[in-house]
Amino acid sequence: MDFLPLKSGLPNRTAFEWPTIMLSIVLSGVGLCLIYSATAPLGEAGRLYVIRQMTWCTLGLVLTAVLLVFDYELLDHWAVRLYLVIIVALIAVWATGKVTAGSKRWIQMGLMRFQPSEFAKLAVIIILAKYLQAVPGNPSRELIDLFRPILLAVLPAILVLLQPDLGTACIILLVAVSMIIFAGVERRFLLWGVIIIILLIPTVLLLGDHFLMAYQKRRFFSFLNPAYDPMGSGYHLLQSQIAIGSGGFFGKGFLQGTQNQLMFLPVKHTDFVFSILAEEWGFMGCAVVLGLFSILFLRGMSIAGKARDNFGTLLAFGCTASFFWHVTVNVGMVMGLLPVVGVPLSFLSYGGSALISSFLAVSILANVAMRRLAY
Amino acid sequence: MSDFLRREHPAEYFGPRIRIAVAIIVFCMGIFLVKLWYLQLIEGESYDEMSRNNRVRSVRLPASRGKILDCNGRVLAENSPSFTFSIIPGELENVQDVLERCSSTLGIPQEKMRGLIERSRAVPRFMSYPIKKNISLEEVSLIKSRSTDLKGVLLEIKPLRLYPLGETLCHVLGTMGEVSADELPKAAKLGYRTGDVLGKTGIEKEYDTYLRGEEGWEEIEIDAKGRQLATYSRNLPRAGADVVLTVDADLQKYSEEVFMHRAGSIVAVDPDSGRILAMVSKPGFDLNLFSPSITDRQWKRLTNDPLHPLENRSTRGLYSPASAFKIVTATAALAEKVVTPDQKFNCAGKLELAGQSFRCWNHNGHGAVSLRRAIVESCDIYFYELGRLLGADRIAKYAALFGLGKPTGLGLPHELPGLVPSPVWKSRNYGDSWKDGETLNLAIGQGYLVATPIQLAMMTAAVANGGKLLKPAIVRRVESPEKGVVFDHEPVVRWTIPLDPGVLDSLRSAMTAVVSESKGTGRRARVPGINIAAKTGTSQVIRDNQMIKESEQIPYHERTHAIFVAYVDDRPRKIALVVIVEHGGGGGMSAGPVARKILARYYGLPDRGGL
Repeated sequence: MDFLPLKSGLPNRTAFEWPTIMLSIVLSGVGLCLIYSATAPLGEAGRLYVIRQMTWCTLGLVLTAVLLVFDYELLDHWAVRLYLVIIVALIAVWATGKVTAGSKRWIQMGLMRFQPSEFAKLAVIIILAKYLQAVPGNPSRELIDLFRPILLAVLPAILVLLQPDLGTACIILLVAVSMIIFAGVERRFLLWGVIIIILLIPTVLLLGDHFLMAYQKRRFFSFLNPAYDPMGSGYHLLQSQIAIGSGGFFGKGFLQGTQNQLMFLPVKHTDFVFSILAEEWGFMGCAVVLGLFSILFLRGMSIAGKARDNFGTLLAFGCTASFFWHVTVNVGMVMGLLPVVGVPLSFLSYGGSALISSFLAVSILANVAMRRLAY
Repeated sequence: MSDFLRREHPAEYFGPRIRIAVAIIVFCMGIFLVKLWYLQLIEGESYDEMSRNNRVRSVRLPASRGKILDCNGRVLAENSPSFTFSIIPGELENVQDVLERCSSTLGIPQEKMRGLIERSRAVPRFMSYPIKKNISLEEVSLIKSRSTDLKGVLLEIKPLRLYPLGETLCHVLGTMGEVSADELPKAAKLGYRTGDVLGKTGIEKEYDTYLRGEEGWEEIEIDAKGRQLATYSRNLPRAGADVVLTVDADLQKYSEEVFMHRAGSIVAVDPDSGRILAMVSKPGFDLNLFSPSITDRQWKRLTNDPLHPLENRSTRGLYSPASAFKIVTATAALAEKVVTPDQKFNCAGKLELAGQSFRCWNHNGHGAVSLRRAIVESCDIYFYELGRLLGADRIAKYAALFGLGKPTGLGLPHELPGLVPSPVWKSRNYGDSWKDGETLNLAIGQGYLVATPIQLAMMTAAVANGGKLLKPAIVRRVESPEKGVVFDHEPVVRWTIPLDPGVLDSLRSAMTAVVSESKGTGRRARVPGINIAAKTGTSQVIRDNQMIKESEQIPYHERTHAIFVAYVDDRPRKIALVVIVEHGGGGGMSAGPVARKILARYYGLPDRGGL
């Protein structure tokens, strides 16, 4: 079997994909500042978080550089195997796993803690890209054809949901649906899909409301979101809004956020980093960061448009969609526009696996971009 | 596969889709910017004010520590509330102000208090940091009246451990203290923080995870003056479980009172279940000294005391069992059929072996002695002969079968295993070969052989219950307020000593005669109305002919230990008892009367003074 297809090595006719790489570095840098601020109240122990995040950052960049040597066509060859490895890893986590804050999300491998659900997102993107590349020109006629890609996404999503990790499961499904629609669906299927979803939501809520008792509902929600106490989540939200709002236009300044420094939000250095950004850097800071993310999204879409083949387009779209949904769900949640689910903010939130998987997504984007003329 | 599907004009198919996606992206980002504009610029000022006025304070809600009770429910350790003066480093504004207003009330010099506040920088800034614990009610009211508007200052109610019975059962109950720097890494994983108190010795330590429960926390909103406005969220603490001991506090207290000597140990155990009825180690100490924390002076006094009051002699005192060990030698000889109960040996007062003279305590000799008389009058020569016939290995084997040489597994910290010497052991540890004379010493329970009182108690219990070596237990039950009974003791038989039925009969009958017969060494322990089986022991501390000197002339540290092991098994409530009086002289003389009083008390009979 040809492990390294002929097209390896850095392509020399296309310019290096600077924008995406630079954006990832800048955003990680912003993340480091925010994490430093978020963990400052912890005193000495806080430094540890920053150092760890920096280590993962470096690792991510190194991985990106190394992976650029290989043509992304490799992913086509390895898609199924990668997918199966992730499924096995997810089952392993569910079976054994180390219990953190009430949910099993980690596997301890020597000194590192490894969160397979973060990489499941990439595996789903890759395998869907492989599956869907045949779709343009042959839109699915039968409903059954839609089932297969949906199933490919649903399987890891359910395993992730069991951990329990509602946020990542949602992202997997959102990205999958985005990719499927982007690749091409019969209009009637799309319509039916939307109608069914719209009808389902109130029905499910009504049934739940009727048949579940208060404590069961609470338990149901905490089963899905163990880190967030539904009774306390109203409080978290209020505090988050106060933090955001009090930032004003210019923000209170680095390390000067009072809500940040005095409060005890257990996950502010992970899921709620955006509120620190808003409080300490104000509207300006938020606009700049959202702007940077927007540039990343648009760049990703442009790469998708210029790719040399369908596989590349779908890969690039999938990675962009992943970033987009992360940012949208996280920022929406922090601002109170969306329900609270545990979704990290790419590059900014503290977390090794999430950071590495973001860098891997960036490396895929760069890879597709730089090989668009390499046939 | 991708060759097949490469299209000629990619932009044609995906182009419009990409445009739609870009539109969605711009739309979403736009919404966010709008909401941000609203929150930060339009409502910005009001939020800013809210952030300035409201502070959220995270307060730890300590869990109430479980109680320790005796087998009848009598309280041995409980909690009483106490106040602690703390600061919250992140909220402190005017340190000088705090010092001026509080240091004199608290009785701490300003410089010292400033130093304490400096040290608080190492901990999370929003958590309370204790400055002075267990302040008096007067101090509380003075602080409250003078400093309500001081920022960053907090009065916390913390429970104080109280031991209503003072010195009683002090070693078993154990002490508590602050988490030390070395303990902190492990303890932190269990949720402990600097300044927390945990069990250091005894039951308080062994069962700390059960006793401590689980602390809760609440997040309260306070205004600029520190007044509580609302509770945002609360996680209630879970009270610790109560630990019920097997000990009877009444018997324990009585035993402690009745033991009027300087040092020693008493262990009383139920021979059928292994449950400990009383465990005394003298000298003891008042547990309340350690609550909230012991002063330097008191600590020095305890640790410098030559009698080591902090040591639990019942599990860590090592004594040569002396003649009490003859129980094991006799059992070994009968079980190995090396001798019959009627077989007689001649005791002439001494025995010569390899040029050395081995004496019997009775220099004139007992004459012809069979098993019964050898036990009743504790003839050494008889047992020397048994030793020669058995050999050191077999004696060591039975010593191990009776549980000596290994910890009993009681579950109190740092139990010592004692030592059963053997030829193999000696060559491994001393590089020297075993001498025949050492077998003779071993046979009468001297030499290298040492055991703890609890081991001797379980050995006695094995004779009482017909040959089962039980695992002793000090905890009867652990009851959690939420989950009910979390632990319930069931007797554990470590093993059954392989003995033919009837082997122990002659030994047991002889042991009864030790107390009942007029020449029995245990006659001072006689209690009319109960059949007590016993064996005395007088454990030599230094190698020499102590028998020659009058006991009062011998300095304290050279006097023999007095040992008395006994059991009562012909009643529904059985008991096996060990009394050791350190440097007490004769086993029957010193330890016997103590045992008599305890047994009389246990069976509700008047103590007539023995004999």
